[in-house]
Amino acid sequence: MKRRAFLLGCLLFASLSVARAEPGATPRVAVLDWGLAETLLGLGVTPLAVAELENYQRWVAVPAMPAAVHDLGLRTEPNLELLAQLRPDMILITPQFEAARSKLERIAPVISLSIYRPDGDAYANAREVTRELGHLTATADRAEALIEAVDVQLAAMRVALADQSIEPLFVASFMDDRHVRVFGPQSLFHAVLTRAGLSNAWTGSDNFWGFAQAGVEKLAEPPEAGLIVLRPLPLNAERSLASSALWQNLPFVRAGRVYELPPTWQFGGLISASRFATLLAGALDD
Amino acid sequence: MGRRSPVGLWIGGLLLVAFVLAVLQLAARLPPSLWSEALLQPRLSDMRQLLVHFSWMPRLAMSGLCGAALGLAGLLMQQVLRNPLASPSTLGAANGAQLALALATLYAPTLLAASQWVAFAGAALATLAVLLLARRRGFSPLSLILAGMVISLYLGALNVLLMLLQPQGLTALFIWTAGSLSQNSWDGVRFLLPRLALAFIAVWVLARPLALLELDETGARSLGVSLGRLRVLALGIAVFLTACVVSSVGVIGFIGLAAPAICRLLGARSFAQRLVWTPLLGAALLWLADLGLQQLASERSELLPTGAVTALLGAPLLLWLLPRLRMGAAPAVRAVPSSPAPSGPARYTLVVLGLSVLLLGAMALLLGQGMDGWSATLDWAVIEWRLPRAMSAAGAGLMLALAGTLLQRLTGNPMASPEIMGISAGAALGLMAMIFLWPAAPLLVRLAIGCLGATVTLFIIIGFARRQDFSPERLLLVGIAISALFDAVQTLVLSMNDPRGQNLLGWLSGSTYHVELPLALVALIGAGVLLSLCLPLQRWLTLLPLGDSAPRSLGVPLARARLMLMLLAALLTAAGTLVIGPLSFVGLMAPHMARLLGFHKARGQLLAAALLSAGLMLLADWLGRMLTFPDQLPAGLLAAVIGGAYLVWGLGRRA
Repeated sequence: MKRRAFLLGCLLFASLSVARAEPGATPRVAVLDWGLAETLLGLGVTPLAVAELENYQRWVAVPAMPAAVHDLGLRTEPNLELLAQLRPDMILITPQFEAARSKLERIAPVISLSIYRPDGDAYANAREVTRELGHLTATADRAEALIEAVDVQLAAMRVALADQSIEPLFVASFMDDRHVRVFGPQSLFHAVLTRAGLSNAWTGSDNFWGFAQAGVEKLAEPPEAGLIVLRPLPLNAERSLASSALWQNLPFVRAGRVYELPPTWQFGGLISASRFATLLAGALDD
Repeated sequence: MGRRSPVGLWIGGLLLVAFVLAVLQLAARLPPSLWSEALLQPRLSDMRQLLVHFSWMPRLAMSGLCGAALGLAGLLMQQVLRNPLASPSTLGAANGAQLALALATLYAPTLLAASQWVAFAGAALATLAVLLLARRRGFSPLSLILAGMVISLYLGALNVLLMLLQPQGLTALFIWTAGSLSQNSWDGVRFLLPRLALAFIAVWVLARPLALLELDETGARSLGVSLGRLRVLALGIAVFLTACVVSSVGVIGFIGLAAPAICRLLGARSFAQRLVWTPLLGAALLWLADLGLQQLASERSELLPTGAVTALLGAPLLLWLLPRLRMGAAPAVRAVPSSPAPSGPARYTLVVLGLSVLLLGAMALLLGQGMDGWSATLDWAVIEWRLPRAMSAAGAGLMLALAGTLLQRLTGNPMASPEIMGISAGAALGLMAMIFLWPAAPLLVRLAIGCLGATVTLFIIIGFARRQDFSPERLLLVGIAISALFDAVQTLVLSMNDPRGQNLLGWLSGSTYHVELPLALVALIGAGVLLSLCLPLQRWLTLLPLGDSAPRSLGVPLARARLMLMLLAALLTAAGTLVIGPLSFVGLMAPHMARLLGFHKARGQLLAAALLSAGLMLLADWLGRMLTFPDQLPAGLLAAVIGGAYLVWGLGRRA
């Protein structure tokens, strides 16, 4: 049953990579935020330029950014000279990058979209943002299709997992060998877990972006929980975790309930949600 | 220690409080009946016991050990240098160790197998640099601390540069810089305990000769103590202790300064007494801080790094300590005209400097990389973006250079500068608050808040300094305390790892990115106006470094002149910082470079420093935009790195 949800996810990705908008029909879009950039790719729109491509490769990884996309430089300080030479039709930002707005507006209209905000659920916000991006890039049908597909994927996953009782899961990424960034109710991962009929083991507080920083020992409770670790792991963490007595004795390590997932963008949109669900289903299946 | 001294009562009391806190916390984690089992042979199936055994207990032991080690290190440094403000953090040792470890982590991870030696090398080099800088001023207490401050700031700048260049190592470095005591095995304790014990024994053996260091130089020497070797040995032990602590938990601020100082204030007079009580007090302080923090953290389940918090508490402590400390011998910080201007600068030097600035300006505007590689361009669509950055960089550099020249002449101390006076830090604190409270605030509001921060800082400084008749030494020490406070807040904010921290990092490290043309114009014109205000003051500026009596006899209204110059320097600093952030260092370096070029008179030094600084900032801004294109490095940071290297070279050459 789980295998079906997994295959569905793979299929979704396959269909995304096939769908490409015909050239000329779509606007030239410069994007600062990776969550928005991946959603554009999901709509079959290749952005003109994206900030920090090298880090995108490391932290987001999939969907891969086509080689033609220009690197805009830092997300907080996109290169204005370069941006002006590229002549985009619009610039997409999130509220985090508002500080640069007045300058960006002199180059092209600036549109700010946010998935992460104090109100609402990240998944619902991600759907809304997808719809708006579809509207902006004349790919409204594809946006609806994408929303539909991810909804269906999660619903199918829920059905597939319904007959097994899966323990609550922590979703975390390691900051160093003693500390994790653990995702809470505001995060997209939490939203995916609940929609797939799973539960988030982290019941502590989280911030605006949906995560809390904690020492690894905070993950000891509840003892029945499993742990999902998002790669990349920081330098040297792997080695020192292997020799850490506490880590080796944490319930999920001893019970073999640690699932390592390849890089998935922690502050992404529907595409990240879908990728996370696919990888999760695959990991639980093994 | 036959008779009971109050110091024993106080420290015993603190230890008792820490002990009670610890017992209460342990009781909340585990019923007392299981304590011995959890400590000795934890049942693997009981998570509570595992947590107590592998996390809580080692953390408790670790904070005690780190506190004791830092206390001992601070005590040694203070004893050897006869300086009540010496400590691992004020002498740059902690930052040196931290930077060395960060470099190794990023570029040579295999070296980390011997991490304490990597840290030791870094700490030793930093301390050595501080001593070299201070040597020319006879190791006077203040000049030593100022040199420590300069080196710390410089190492801090390099650290930020690393963070910007290697974002994947970023989060781990943030936590480390902030000093988190969280543990998940006994490895840390097993590492630190034998080293601390060894160091303590070594110091115990050396206790008698070390106690003699309190005598003056000739007194000690006449008793047959080889001073040089003893000093090097004792400092080496202190640096080693610092390195061990930093390599196991990161930078823990201020314990090394506070423990020995408080011990002395509590009445521990003899070195033997202090040797016993200081490590205990250090342990008690860090226990209290860490246990208190854990209490808070368990309620909010958020991570607050202990090291940054102790630094935060330490800054007010330093302010409180200042009036109570006797600075050993009379602080001889008056500028000694070491080489009474052997030859003035060549007559055309100023002209050459001016032309170079113009040339650099032209390069910054016209030459650069774009979509199709390198090109020289006259296209306004490109220059439009370069102009405000070049103008603001030059303007800010000019203002900071003037501020630095004023402050160095005002205090008669070549290590004085706006960065070190803490005014940039004050402005930065205000702006930092804005990023979190009102991130989309218009520039004008941010400007106002930054000015408010600078002004408040200025008034604190004046308030403290007034009591000492504006004595320059106190002025600078207050500035150090405020800078330390700012540093702690900054580290704390960055260690929270909020993505908004990224925005902060850009401005903190001196990026001209967000400057708009109107502000750039204001900066450049303002700089010109302020320069013309400074030039008529050259008589005061020439006389003030000579000490109190000479200017007074020549009819300079001393208090009023100092106040006016201070206000002017503060205004220059605030304006410069708002544009370029608190990190650029040009305020410290430019006046020096001017002097190295032979400009010893007030007027020449002002002009030359202004031109040098404007040129340096132009170059730094251009390099910042081009070196890692399309990514950009902040101008302030690059200026600090380039100029700092030149400064150390220049000072070394003259020494």
